Amino acid sequence: MSLLNTLIPSINRTLARRGDDAANAAQTVAPAYEIKETADAYGLTVHLPGVNKDGLELTVEEGTFTVRGQRAWKQPSGWTTLYRESVDLPFELVLTHDNTIDADKIHAELADGVLRVSLPKAEAVKPRKITVS
Amino acid sequence: MRLVRYTYPIHRSPVSLLGGFARSPWAGLESEIDRLFTSTLADLGAPASELRFPVDLYEDKDNTYVRAELPGLRRDDIHVEVVDDYLTINATRKTKEGDREQSFAFNRSISLPAATRNDQITASYEQGVLTVTLPKKEEAKPRKITVNVN
Repeated sequence: MSLLNTLIPSINRTLARRGDDAANAAQTVAPAYEIKETADAYGLTVHLPGVNKDGLELTVEEGTFTVRGQRAWKQPSGWTTLYRESVDLPFELVLTHDNTIDADKIHAELADGVLRVSLPKAEAVKPRKITVS
Repeated sequence: MRLVRYTYPIHRSPVSLLGGFARSPWAGLESEIDRLFTSTLADLGAPASELRFPVDLYEDKDNTYVRAELPGLRRDDIHVEVVDDYLTINATRKTKEGDREQSFAFNRSISLPAATRNDQITASYEQGVLTVTLPKKEEAKPRKITVNVN
Protein backbone atom coordinates (compact mmCIF):
# COMPACT_ATOMS: atom_id res chain seq x y z
CA MET A 1 0.00 0.00 0.00
CA SER A 2 2.73 2.44 0.93
CA LEU A 3 4.66 1.33 -2.14
CA LEU A 4 1.73 2.46 -4.25
CA ASN A 5 1.64 5.78 -2.42
CA THR A 6 5.32 6.42 -3.04
CA LEU A 7 5.12 5.44 -6.67
CA ILE A 8 2.04 7.58 -7.36
CA PRO A 9 2.31 10.57 -5.00
CA SER A 10 -0.79 12.27 -6.35
CA ILE A 11 -3.00 9.68 -4.63
CA ASN A 12 -1.86 10.92 -1.20
CA ARG A 13 -2.06 14.51 -2.27
CA THR A 14 -5.64 14.46 -3.50
CA LEU A 15 -7.03 12.53 -0.56
CA ALA A 16 -5.35 14.80 1.99
CA ARG A 17 -6.66 17.86 0.23
CA ARG A 18 -10.26 16.71 0.48
CA GLY A 19 -10.20 16.43 4.25
CA ASP A 20 -8.54 19.73 4.93
CA ASP A 21 -10.87 22.02 6.85
CA ALA A 22 -8.96 25.20 6.15
CA ALA A 23 -9.27 24.59 2.44
CA ASN A 24 -12.94 23.69 2.78
CA ALA A 25 -13.75 26.99 4.41
CA ALA A 26 -12.65 28.88 1.34
CA GLN A 27 -14.40 26.60 -1.13
CA THR A 28 -16.01 28.18 -4.08
CA VAL A 29 -17.85 27.06 -7.15
CA ALA A 30 -16.77 27.90 -10.67
CA PRO A 31 -19.53 29.59 -12.65
CA ALA A 32 -20.32 28.96 -16.30
CA TYR A 33 -18.67 31.57 -18.48
CA GLU A 34 -17.89 32.43 -22.03
CA ILE A 35 -15.35 34.70 -23.67
CA LYS A 36 -15.73 36.29 -27.07
CA GLU A 37 -13.09 38.38 -28.73
CA THR A 38 -13.48 41.29 -31.08
CA ALA A 39 -10.80 43.50 -32.52
CA ASP A 40 -11.12 46.05 -29.71
CA ALA A 41 -12.05 44.12 -26.65
CA TYR A 42 -12.83 40.84 -24.97
CA GLY A 43 -16.40 40.22 -23.96
CA LEU A 44 -16.92 38.01 -20.92
CA THR A 45 -20.30 36.62 -19.96
CA VAL A 46 -20.59 34.88 -16.59
CA HIS A 47 -23.68 33.22 -15.18
CA LEU A 48 -24.04 34.14 -11.51
CA PRO A 49 -27.57 33.25 -10.43
CA GLY A 50 -28.53 34.66 -7.06
CA VAL A 51 -25.81 37.30 -6.98
CA ASN A 52 -26.65 40.99 -6.87
CA LYS A 53 -24.41 44.03 -7.13
CA ASP A 54 -23.50 44.08 -3.46
CA GLY A 55 -22.17 40.57 -3.48
CA LEU A 56 -20.13 40.96 -6.62
CA GLU A 57 -16.44 41.76 -6.68
CA LEU A 58 -14.22 42.16 -9.74
CA THR A 59 -10.47 42.47 -9.32
CA VAL A 60 -7.72 42.94 -11.83
CA GLU A 61 -4.21 42.26 -10.72
CA GLU A 62 -0.88 41.16 -12.07
CA GLY A 63 -1.89 38.94 -14.93
CA THR A 64 -5.22 37.74 -13.51
CA PHE A 65 -8.79 38.89 -13.58
CA THR A 66 -10.99 37.58 -10.77
CA VAL A 67 -14.75 37.56 -10.44
CA ARG A 68 -16.18 36.74 -7.01
CA GLY A 69 -19.86 36.57 -6.28
CA GLN A 70 -21.68 35.93 -3.00
CA ARG A 71 -25.18 34.57 -3.21
CA ALA A 72 -27.62 36.96 -1.64
CA TRP A 73 -30.35 34.55 -0.64
CA LYS A 74 -30.47 32.88 2.75
CA GLN A 75 -32.93 30.10 3.36
CA PRO A 76 -35.70 31.37 5.68
CA SER A 77 -35.68 29.53 9.00
CA GLY A 78 -39.14 28.01 8.62
CA TRP A 79 -38.29 26.19 5.42
CA THR A 80 -37.48 22.49 5.46
CA THR A 81 -35.16 21.34 2.72
CA LEU A 82 -36.61 18.48 0.73
CA TYR A 83 -34.24 18.31 -2.21
CA ARG A 84 -31.20 20.39 -3.13
CA GLU A 85 -29.32 20.53 -6.38
CA SER A 86 -27.70 23.92 -6.12
CA VAL A 87 -25.00 24.79 -3.60
CA ASP A 88 -24.67 27.79 -1.35
CA LEU A 89 -20.98 28.29 -2.04
CA PRO A 90 -19.85 31.61 -3.47
CA PHE A 91 -18.74 31.84 -7.06
CA GLU A 92 -15.17 32.43 -8.05
CA LEU A 93 -13.71 32.72 -11.50
CA VAL A 94 -10.06 33.45 -12.15
CA LEU A 95 -8.89 34.19 -15.64
CA THR A 96 -5.33 34.82 -16.64
CA HIS A 97 -4.34 37.42 -19.13
CA ASP A 98 -1.00 38.46 -20.41
CA ASN A 99 -1.39 42.17 -19.65
CA THR A 100 -3.20 42.86 -22.87
CA ILE A 101 -6.14 44.50 -21.10
CA ASP A 102 -6.57 48.16 -20.39
CA ALA A 103 -7.73 47.95 -16.76
CA ASP A 104 -9.08 51.50 -16.59
CA LYS A 105 -11.62 50.97 -19.30
CA ILE A 106 -13.23 47.77 -18.05
CA HIS A 107 -16.99 48.03 -18.10
CA ALA A 108 -19.30 45.56 -16.35
CA GLU A 109 -23.04 45.06 -15.98
CA LEU A 110 -24.99 42.62 -13.89
CA ALA A 111 -28.59 41.86 -14.79
CA ASP A 112 -30.78 38.88 -13.87
CA GLY A 113 -27.84 36.86 -12.67
CA VAL A 114 -25.76 37.39 -15.80
CA LEU A 115 -22.58 39.44 -15.61
CA ARG A 116 -21.33 40.94 -18.84
CA VAL A 117 -17.86 42.44 -18.76
CA SER A 118 -16.18 44.24 -21.57
CA LEU A 119 -12.40 44.22 -21.30
CA PRO A 120 -10.89 46.59 -23.82
CA LYS A 121 -7.60 45.53 -25.24
CA ALA A 122 -4.56 47.63 -24.52
CA GLU A 123 -3.63 49.94 -27.38
CA ALA A 124 -0.44 48.15 -28.24
CA VAL A 125 -2.21 44.87 -28.88
CA LYS A 126 -4.98 45.93 -31.23
CA PRO A 127 -4.53 44.71 -34.76
CA ARG A 128 -2.89 47.37 -36.78
CA LYS A 129 -2.38 47.79 -40.45
CA ILE A 130 1.24 48.09 -41.44
CA THR A 131 1.88 49.95 -44.63
CA VAL A 132 4.63 48.79 -46.87
CA SER A 133 6.62 51.60 -48.31
CA MET B 1 -21.89 29.38 -29.16
CA ARG B 2 -22.37 27.70 -25.83
CA LEU B 3 -21.34 28.47 -22.34
CA VAL B 4 -18.32 26.46 -21.44
CA ARG B 5 -17.76 25.08 -17.99
CA TYR B 6 -14.15 25.41 -17.01
CA THR B 7 -12.34 22.08 -17.19
CA TYR B 8 -8.82 21.45 -16.13
CA PRO B 9 -6.40 21.05 -19.00
CA ILE B 10 -5.04 17.58 -19.58
CA HIS B 11 -1.39 17.60 -20.43
CA ARG B 12 -0.65 14.83 -22.79
CA SER B 13 2.52 15.52 -24.64
CA PRO B 14 3.35 13.35 -27.62
CA VAL B 15 6.93 13.22 -26.43
CA SER B 16 6.00 10.89 -23.61
CA LEU B 17 4.87 8.23 -26.01
CA LEU B 18 8.39 8.00 -27.35
CA GLY B 19 9.74 7.70 -23.82
CA GLY B 20 11.01 11.29 -23.97
CA PHE B 21 13.03 13.23 -21.46
CA ALA B 22 12.66 12.53 -17.73
CA ARG B 23 8.87 12.28 -17.53
CA SER B 24 7.73 9.91 -14.85
CA PRO B 25 6.03 6.84 -16.27
CA TRP B 26 3.16 7.54 -13.91
CA ALA B 27 2.56 11.11 -15.04
CA GLY B 28 -0.23 10.12 -17.35
CA LEU B 29 -1.97 8.11 -14.65
CA GLU B 30 -1.48 10.91 -12.14
CA SER B 31 -3.10 13.47 -14.33
CA GLU B 32 -5.98 11.12 -15.06
CA ILE B 33 -6.54 10.55 -11.34
CA ASP B 34 -6.43 14.30 -10.69
CA ARG B 35 -8.92 14.89 -13.42
CA LEU B 36 -11.17 12.14 -12.10
CA PHE B 37 -11.28 13.65 -8.62
CA THR B 38 -11.74 17.23 -9.68
CA SER B 39 -14.32 16.64 -12.37
CA THR B 40 -16.39 14.13 -10.41
CA LEU B 41 -16.57 16.25 -7.29
CA ALA B 42 -17.06 19.43 -9.26
CA ASP B 43 -20.26 18.04 -10.71
CA LEU B 44 -22.00 18.44 -7.36
CA GLY B 45 -23.48 21.90 -7.57
CA ALA B 46 -22.45 22.41 -11.15
CA PRO B 47 -23.93 25.47 -12.85
CA ALA B 48 -26.59 25.18 -15.52
CA SER B 49 -24.87 23.57 -18.43
CA GLU B 50 -26.35 22.59 -21.73
CA LEU B 51 -29.99 22.13 -21.01
CA ARG B 52 -30.06 21.24 -17.35
CA PHE B 53 -30.48 23.63 -14.46
CA PRO B 54 -30.32 23.07 -10.71
CA VAL B 55 -33.63 22.96 -8.84
CA ASP B 56 -34.20 23.02 -5.07
CA LEU B 57 -37.32 21.93 -3.27
CA TYR B 58 -38.32 23.24 0.16
CA GLU B 59 -41.46 23.35 2.25
CA ASP B 60 -42.85 24.86 5.39
CA LYS B 61 -46.21 24.12 6.94
CA ASP B 62 -48.18 26.33 4.57
CA ASN B 63 -46.35 26.22 1.26
CA THR B 64 -44.09 24.24 -0.99
CA TYR B 65 -41.28 26.22 -2.58
CA VAL B 66 -39.35 25.47 -5.73
CA ARG B 67 -36.21 27.45 -6.63
CA ALA B 68 -34.56 27.10 -10.00
CA GLU B 69 -31.31 28.73 -11.13
CA LEU B 70 -32.04 30.18 -14.54
CA PRO B 71 -29.88 33.23 -15.14
CA GLY B 72 -30.26 35.52 -18.12
CA LEU B 73 -33.87 34.94 -19.11
CA ARG B 74 -36.69 37.32 -19.86
CA ARG B 75 -39.78 36.93 -17.75
CA ASP B 76 -41.87 36.28 -20.86
CA ASP B 77 -39.70 33.34 -21.76
CA ILE B 78 -40.35 31.44 -18.55
CA HIS B 79 -43.47 29.27 -18.30
CA VAL B 80 -44.51 27.49 -15.14
CA GLU B 81 -47.36 24.98 -15.13
CA VAL B 82 -48.83 22.78 -12.47
CA VAL B 83 -50.64 19.63 -13.52
CA ASP B 84 -51.81 17.20 -10.83
CA ASP B 85 -48.78 16.66 -8.65
CA TYR B 86 -46.17 17.91 -11.10
CA LEU B 87 -44.67 21.31 -11.58
CA THR B 88 -43.20 21.90 -15.03
CA ILE B 89 -40.80 24.71 -15.82
CA ASN B 90 -40.25 25.56 -19.48
CA ALA B 91 -37.81 28.30 -20.34
CA THR B 92 -36.19 29.55 -23.52
CA ARG B 93 -32.98 31.45 -23.65
CA LYS B 94 -32.72 33.42 -26.85
CA THR B 95 -29.38 34.89 -27.75
CA LYS B 96 -28.74 37.25 -30.57
CA GLU B 97 -25.35 37.43 -32.11
CA GLY B 98 -24.99 39.78 -35.02
CA ASP B 99 -27.44 38.33 -37.47
CA ARG B 100 -27.96 34.93 -35.95
CA GLU B 101 -30.43 34.14 -33.25
CA GLN B 102 -30.08 31.03 -31.22
CA SER B 103 -32.57 29.60 -28.85
CA PHE B 104 -32.03 27.05 -26.09
CA ALA B 105 -34.98 25.39 -24.45
CA PHE B 106 -34.89 24.23 -20.84
CA ASN B 107 -37.47 21.87 -19.52
CA ARG B 108 -37.88 20.27 -16.13
CA SER B 109 -40.72 18.51 -14.32
CA ILE B 110 -40.68 18.14 -10.58
CA SER B 111 -43.08 16.06 -8.57
CA LEU B 112 -44.57 17.96 -5.68
CA PRO B 113 -44.75 16.46 -2.22
CA ALA B 114 -48.10 17.97 -1.23
CA ALA B 115 -51.39 18.84 -2.89
CA THR B 116 -51.47 22.50 -3.84
CA ARG B 117 -54.12 25.14 -4.31
CA ASN B 118 -53.45 25.82 -7.95
CA ASP B 119 -55.17 29.18 -8.13
CA GLN B 120 -52.91 30.70 -5.52
CA ILE B 121 -49.53 29.84 -6.93
CA THR B 122 -47.10 32.73 -7.29
CA ALA B 123 -43.68 32.97 -8.85
CA SER B 124 -40.92 35.54 -8.83
CA TYR B 125 -37.72 35.83 -10.81
CA GLU B 126 -34.89 37.72 -9.16
CA GLN B 127 -31.18 37.80 -9.89
CA GLY B 128 -31.59 34.88 -12.19
CA VAL B 129 -33.37 32.63 -9.70
CA LEU B 130 -36.97 31.60 -10.22
CA THR B 131 -38.89 30.98 -6.98
CA VAL B 132 -42.32 29.37 -7.19
CA THR B 133 -44.49 29.41 -4.07
CA LEU B 134 -47.23 26.79 -4.00
CA PRO B 135 -49.69 27.06 -1.12
CA LYS B 136 -50.72 23.69 0.24
CA LYS B 137 -54.28 22.50 0.34
CA GLU B 138 -55.78 22.37 3.81
CA GLU B 139 -55.78 18.61 3.96
CA ALA B 140 -52.08 18.50 3.05
CA LYS B 141 -51.02 20.72 5.94
CA PRO B 142 -49.65 19.02 9.03
CA ARG B 143 -52.29 18.50 11.67
CA LYS B 144 -52.11 17.68 15.31
CA ILE B 145 -53.94 14.51 16.22
CA THR B 146 -54.94 14.14 19.81
CA VAL B 147 -54.62 10.71 21.28
CA ASN B 148 -57.43 9.73 23.59
CA VAL B 149 -56.40 7.63 26.49
CA ASN B 150 -59.15 5.38 27.75
